[in-house]
Amino acid sequence: MAAFSSSTSSSLLKPAFISSSPKLSAQSILPFRVSNPLPRRGLNMITTSATTTTVTTSFSCKSQSSPPDSQTRDQVQQLCVYEINERDRGSPAYLRLSQKSVNSLGDLVPFSNKIYTGDLQKRVGITAGLCVLIQNVPEKKGDRYEATFSFYFGDYGHICVQGQYLTYEDTYLAVTGGSGIFEGVYGQVKLQQLIFPFKLFYTFYLKGIPDLPEELLGAAVAPSPAVEPTAAAKACEPGATILNYTQ
Amino acid sequence: MSTHPSPISIIPCTIYFTITKQISLLSPSSNSMASPSSISVAPVKVQELSVYEMNERDRSSPAFLKLSQKSTNSLGDLVPFTNKIYTGDLQKRIGITAGLCILIQNVPEKKGDRYEAVYSFYFGDYGHITVQGQYLTYADTYLAVTGGTGIFEGVSGQVKLQQLIFPFKLFYTFYLKGIPDLPQELLGQAVAPSPTVEPTAAAKACEPGSTIANYTQ
Repeated sequence: MAAFSSSTSSSLLKPAFISSSPKLSAQSILPFRVSNPLPRRGLNMITTSATTTTVTTSFSCKSQSSPPDSQTRDQVQQLCVYEINERDRGSPAYLRLSQKSVNSLGDLVPFSNKIYTGDLQKRVGITAGLCVLIQNVPEKKGDRYEATFSFYFGDYGHICVQGQYLTYEDTYLAVTGGSGIFEGVYGQVKLQQLIFPFKLFYTFYLKGIPDLPEELLGAAVAPSPAVEPTAAAKACEPGATILNYTQ
Repeated sequence: MSTHPSPISIIPCTIYFTITKQISLLSPSSNSMASPSSISVAPVKVQELSVYEMNERDRSSPAFLKLSQKSTNSLGDLVPFTNKIYTGDLQKRIGITAGLCILIQNVPEKKGDRYEAVYSFYFGDYGHITVQGQYLTYADTYLAVTGGTGIFEGVSGQVKLQQLIFPFKLFYTFYLKGIPDLPQELLGQAVAPSPTVEPTAAAKACEPGSTIANYTQ
């Protein structure tokens, strides 16, 4: 669904076109996130002085990025993450507030699980948030939730997401923002369930942020119900976690 | 590129100028960026999208969770909800809204309540839009568009909420940026909002031709 310029092999290649330009600009420009592709929203702030109904140039029809320089602006970075419920965080907390026997609107499910890098080598941190049950879907033997939650990446920062979580199929959620290295991020994330509700695999399609650090971009283990983090990662041994992984 | 002027002198001109220069240096052929003073990046296009939200009382919504355990609406009460949405011209069923209203405070002088609302609009195969902001039962408000998927991937902007009949009929005007041109079937001439508007019978019945592809249920 997301258009991205990088190769689509299973290994997480960084976009091949990463030119030296962001780094060059880092030397000469400002301290604020200089290697970043131009913040799209930053442009918006400046150009709103023009009438909002002005006809744009053609680029707005082609892609989602505003500036005409298409290379850095369209850069989509893929990031894979495994979410694993190891049953040691009191999660999920199913609040049956509808007071009905069948899952119904009114039920709320706060949750928090552990997350690992896509290559399952390092503990990254946690997810934390809320699933709002919207409706039970009997013909699919599952439920629709509206999920609003964050992925915490230790010292790197966090990514927040919102969207539909269907217990019976893969979905896409919107990336609504982030902090730290993810500040200003936008895009979407694909959610794939491997074992409901204990193992999930996420593929983020992120835009608007500097190149992600290598340790988050190792070749992802192909998602399947049997995948497990390395013993060292599960034990959070030194070298098998990111810095100050979120607990 | 190393001839870029000192960043210090550029800062007062707003960061934007510096960025423009950066782009022009990187891709001199891409656009007519002669100088920082001529910001030749075109104004960002804002697309308006109108949507009607209808509670047809067939989705068990809303679910008013009186967790505050007080007689008046109070902080602690939570209201999950889900309603149907139709195109602005009321010709086609689009999908649903789904999310949560968090009661913040009762406002007696306005005979209403303030909520913080976090929810999504689902547009079938097109994707979805997420929003967050204040919902005041007694006045129109603007919510932030926080993101989207599918054709709305990367979207930003805001949405105006107008209540027609509380809490059963609402009219939304989205002001969306950062996405490709919206499909025509979503952009039909909106029916002027009033308490009596209704979707066409065909749209309510979700007949073929009166829904978008795989409208969200």
